[in-house]
Amino acid sequence: MAATVIDVDGLGKRYQLGANRQRTDTLRDLIAGSVRSLFTRRRHEARTDFWALRDARFQIAGGESVGIIGSNGAGKSTLLKLLARIVEPSEGRARIVGRAGALLEVGTGFHWELTGRENVFLYGSILGMSRKEIARQFDSIVAFADLAQFIDTPVKRYSSGMYVRLAFSVAAQLEPDILLLDEVLAVGDLAFQRKCIDFARNLQKRSATILFVSHNMHSIKTMCDRVIYLRKGHVVFDGPTERGLQLYEQDCCLSDLSWISAPRDEWPIEITGCELIDANGVARSVWDFGQPIKLRIFYHTQRAVADPNFIVAFIRADGVACCNYSSEADGIVTGQIAGPGCIEIDAPPLKLVSDMYSVSILVRERGFGRVLCGQTGATFHVRHSLFDTHFGVFHEPATWKFSRRSEAVPGDLSSCERLAGRTA
Amino acid sequence: MHSTLVLEIEPQRGLAALDFPSLWRYRELLYFLVLRELKVRYKQAALGAAWAVVQPVFAATIFTIIFGMFAHLPSDGLPYVLFAFAGVLPWTYFGEALRRASTGLVEDSELIRKIYFPRLVLPTAAVIAPLVDFLISLAVLVVLMIWYHISATPSLLLLPAFIVMNVGLALAFGLWLGPLNVRYRDVKQILPFLIQVWMYASPVVYPLSMVPERWRPLYSLNPMVGIIEGFRWTLLGTAAPDATAMALTAASTIVLLVGGLLYFKRAERSFADVI
Repeated sequence: MAATVIDVDGLGKRYQLGANRQRTDTLRDLIAGSVRSLFTRRRHEARTDFWALRDARFQIAGGESVGIIGSNGAGKSTLLKLLARIVEPSEGRARIVGRAGALLEVGTGFHWELTGRENVFLYGSILGMSRKEIARQFDSIVAFADLAQFIDTPVKRYSSGMYVRLAFSVAAQLEPDILLLDEVLAVGDLAFQRKCIDFARNLQKRSATILFVSHNMHSIKTMCDRVIYLRKGHVVFDGPTERGLQLYEQDCCLSDLSWISAPRDEWPIEITGCELIDANGVARSVWDFGQPIKLRIFYHTQRAVADPNFIVAFIRADGVACCNYSSEADGIVTGQIAGPGCIEIDAPPLKLVSDMYSVSILVRERGFGRVLCGQTGATFHVRHSLFDTHFGVFHEPATWKFSRRSEAVPGDLSSCERLAGRTA
Repeated sequence: MHSTLVLEIEPQRGLAALDFPSLWRYRELLYFLVLRELKVRYKQAALGAAWAVVQPVFAATIFTIIFGMFAHLPSDGLPYVLFAFAGVLPWTYFGEALRRASTGLVEDSELIRKIYFPRLVLPTAAVIAPLVDFLISLAVLVVLMIWYHISATPSLLLLPAFIVMNVGLALAFGLWLGPLNVRYRDVKQILPFLIQVWMYASPVVYPLSMVPERWRPLYSLNPMVGIIEGFRWTLLGTAAPDATAMALTAASTIVLLVGGLLYFKRAERSFADVI
C-alpha cells in the first residue's frame, strides 16, 4: 500500500449568504451601517451560513486516481479549490505530501494583447514553472499545440480552439506529483479531449496522484477506479467507481434537468416514473446493440394542460444528445391531460454504440413553447463488442459495391458486383 | 523524486507570518507580470513607449504656463519648468503606481479565483512596472538640466534613497487600498479624486516655502512632501529639506508599509471568496 499523499480531515468551507452580506457590499452601506449602529442597539442579525463543504474526510494514496462526483453545487469545486489553496477552509485541515499542481481552468492568466510566445511564458510562470523550464520546453509546447505559425500573433486574434490548445500545451508540461483537475477535459473538441485524457494517462503511468472533478461520468469511468460522491457538501460515498456511479445515477433519476430555471413546484406536470422495457415486457438497464426499447413514462398533472408536447432524448454519457423524440414532431395530438397518466413510446431499433446513456424527459407547451417539466429519467447501457464511440453515435450497416477490375471508370458501376453485407 | 514537500492546509488564525520565502520562489512570476504590464501598456499605440515621455512633459508644460507664467508662483529661484518637472517626476510615478496597485487585484480577479500564488506578487508588480516610465522621464529631466546649465551636486548620491522611499510609499498605500477595493469597489471611484487632491496637498506646483511656517509640521505629515523636496534637493541642488520632516517621512513610510503588509496578509485569505 502506497503512502497517503492527501489526507483530508474534517475540511469545511462556510460562506455567508443573504441580507447581511449584501448590506456591506459598498462603502456607503458600511458607513451608513456603522452610523446607524451608533444610535440603535445592535441587534444580533441572523446570518445565513451556507456550508459549501462540511466535514470532508478521506485519504488518498500515492498513485491513485480519484474522481469527485456530485450534482451542481455539491461542493466538488470547493473541495478542489481548498486543496489548491485558492480559498481558505473555515474548519478542519488537509495535508498534501508532494508537489501539487492544479488545473481548474486552462488559459486563466492569458492576456489578450500579448502574443502566443509571450503568453506561454506568462502562463507558465503563473502555473509555477521556472523561466528556464519553459524555455527548454518551448518548442515542444508549440509543437504540441500545433501553432508554430501563429506563435508571434497576439492571442486576441486566435480562435477559441487555438487559445485552449496553446494554454493546455503549457499546462501539459507541468509534472506534478499530485494533479487537481477540474472539468478541464470538458472543453474543446473531441480530438482535444482525447489529448487531455492522454495527458492524464501519462501522469498516471508516472504514478502521479490525480484528483478529478467532472460531470462527465464517461471520463470519470475511464480514468478513476475510485470515486468520492458529494451531496450538498457532504461525502456520501467513497469507494469503487462502479458502485459510486450507480448510487449517483439512482439519485439523479427523476431529478430536475440542470438548465431549467423554473423551480419544480411551479411545474404543472411532474414525471413520477420512467421504465425501459423490452419486447417481453421486462424492465432492463443493459441492452444489446440494436435491441428495440420501449419507454414507459408516468406523469402526474397538478393542473390540466392542453396538448402538451412530450419530448424524450437519449443523452450519451459524454453529453452528446443522440436522438430526440417529440410527440408534436411525430404528429401526435395529446389533447387535454389532467391527473395521473402514462405514455408509452416505442423507439425504433436504435443502433446506438456501446456506452452509457441517460433519458431526459421534457414537456413543453404546444409549438415548442414554455417548458412545463424537465427531468432526468432512467439510465441505460448498450453493449456491443466492437462498436463504441470511435464508430460515431450509431452504427448502421451500409450496402457495399466493389469492382475487381482495374479499368473501372468513375460513374460507371454497372460492372461492380454487389456484395451482400453481413447484417450485424 | 523531488524533495518531499508537505503542505498543511488549515484555517489561519491571527496574523500569519509574512511569507517572504514564497514570494521569492515566485520571483519569476513577478518578473513576467511586470513584463506584461510594460508590454500591454503601449500595445497598439502609434507612439508606443513615447507616451512615457509625453505625459510628464505635457503636465510640466501646463503647470509652467498656468502656475509659472500666469500665477507667478515662486520656484525656489529655479526656472519654473525645471522646478515643476522635478516635482511632476516623483508625483507621476506615485500616482500611477498607487492607481495600479490599488486596482490590480480586481483586474486580475480571474487569476485570484482560479490559481494559487502569493497575492503579494500583484501589487509588487504594479509598483515596479511604472518605474520604467519614471526612468525615461528622469532622462528627460537630465536633458532639461543640461539645457539650463544646472550641474549636479554631491547630494545626487542620495537620489536612490528617495526613489526607494517613493516606491515603498506607493506599495504601502497600494497594500491598504488594494484589498479594500476587492471588498468595496468604491475605492476605484474615489481614487482619481484622492490622487488629484493629494497632488495639490503636495509641493508639486508650488514650493514648500509658500506653506505658512505654523502649518508646516501638519503639512509635512504628508509623506510625499519629504519625497518631492528630496527629489528637488538631490537633483536640482535646492536647500536641503528639514531633517526632522525627512525622518518623519521615512518613519511613516515604514510604518505604513509594515502595517500594509500585515493588513494585506490578513485580507488575502478571503480574496477568492469575495472578489
